[in-house]
Amino acid sequence: MTCESVTKNIPLYFYGELPPEEEDRLEQHLDSCAACARQADAQRSVHAALDRRVMQPSPALLAECRHDLMRSIYRGEAPAGRFHPSRFSAAHGGSLSGMLAAWLPSLGPWRMPLGASALLALGFAAARLTSPGTGGPLTTASLTPEVISSVRSVQPASDSGRPGEVQIVLDETRRRVVSGQMNDSNIQRLMLAAAHDENNPGVRWESVDLLKSHSDSSPVRELLLNRVVEDPNPGVRLKALDGLKSYTADPEVRKVLAQVLLRDDNAGVRISAVDALTAHTDDNMVGVLQSVVQKEDNTYVRRRCEKALKDMNASVGTF
Amino acid sequence: MAQDAPGAVGARLSPKIDEAGLIRAVQRGDQDAFEQLVRAYDQSVLRLAVNLLRSQEDARDVFQEAFLRVFRSIDSFRFDCSFHTWLYRIVTNICLDYLRKRKVRKEEPAVVDTPEGPLDRMNDFEEEAAHADPQRSLWNRQLGRRIEGALEGLTPRERMVFELRHYQGLRLRNIGEILGTSEEAAKNCLFRATQKMRVELGDFQ
Repeated sequence: MTCESVTKNIPLYFYGELPPEEEDRLEQHLDSCAACARQADAQRSVHAALDRRVMQPSPALLAECRHDLMRSIYRGEAPAGRFHPSRFSAAHGGSLSGMLAAWLPSLGPWRMPLGASALLALGFAAARLTSPGTGGPLTTASLTPEVISSVRSVQPASDSGRPGEVQIVLDETRRRVVSGQMNDSNIQRLMLAAAHDENNPGVRWESVDLLKSHSDSSPVRELLLNRVVEDPNPGVRLKALDGLKSYTADPEVRKVLAQVLLRDDNAGVRISAVDALTAHTDDNMVGVLQSVVQKEDNTYVRRRCEKALKDMNASVGTF
Repeated sequence: MAQDAPGAVGARLSPKIDEAGLIRAVQRGDQDAFEQLVRAYDQSVLRLAVNLLRSQEDARDVFQEAFLRVFRSIDSFRFDCSFHTWLYRIVTNICLDYLRKRKVRKEEPAVVDTPEGPLDRMNDFEEEAAHADPQRSLWNRQLGRRIEGALEGLTPRERMVFELRHYQGLRLRNIGEILGTSEEAAKNCLFRATQKMRVELGDFQ
């Protein structure tokens, strides 16, 4: 091996890019050539100097970059239909799936800026009103109107390992994590407020879905009664209706369900309403059921009403 | 005698996660899969951009542009090369554009002279060479300026090959693949870069 080829190969040697046999020949040459050995030493020093200048981006910079990226994506870079909350389709299998497919796209605003969000983990199982992250504890004083109105999503914290825990994402400028029980008044306040967020059907859906298991609480039941009628999203109305099924014997609930059956423009919601209403024999519903039979264009709903009327020995038609 | 790269590149995917499966999930529109994919590579992408461009602002822009391009075009990824290579083609193209524009604009270097002495505009970054010893610290600052000068003397392509080999720890064959050239061309590029560096830094020992 000549001095010229050694000079050319020294950088490759230091980077381990020489084939083993060339590496052996180069090392033999360095052992016998002082000039080339000095060049190798110089190269080694340069390497060491460069190694000391390696820069690692700070965790803060990385977090900001992730934030900016996700914000761009969720704020409109996403091609239409690319991302969708898969759990919605999983949660609505079966006969209603086709009907629900029609309103799933309307949950688009669910894709909110993730990076600008704060993560609020609400543990239903443990009474821990402390913050393991950068935020403070969740107190009544901390629940300003701005905080309450900043909820962007509510979802089960499936990977937390703690059953019943949920995560609430807040659209704040910094991230904080708070844990607490669902029956804590502050936690419930946040979730009830989220269930009314008119700009975000996704967060309403998630909130109602979680709250419906606590329908024994009066504020929650009031919420469900309100949402089943007022919510513009049929998915949310269905969830609220699910939460009311344990109370279909309650006259107030039946009155609301009758209103839903007569007025809701979504067949899936009317199907759920008729199933809930006809689970109990109630002569007071005859007029409602007869009205539905006259005007309902959904065969299932109409037949359920007809059957309920026959079971009550009532006339199917009105006179 | 191969040297370990100070910040060797690599996906931070759990061995249990199948990358191809993750990519297919992204192609089907799975949001969580996209975030996992980003997180597997974003540290090394940011480190490359920071070390190449010596500017937080530019590194942020490169990060954003690169992953948005991935997001928009992942449907066209056909697995005819590794995802890493595909991603790095995107990242290096963007970085080369920045380096070329900077050459034309003659932008400020990362280390600038001030009345209080040299100021490293990158001082927000964590440096491995931080020492309490003032003499050592002075030496480091001087060395830093020399290195900046040496790096600025490289062409954008030499700079890229050097960065990918020295700091990202990629093999020359992979670098050639990323930059759309041969291993031999990448080797020659690295040789020219190291020669220039040695000329600039040879007496600094």
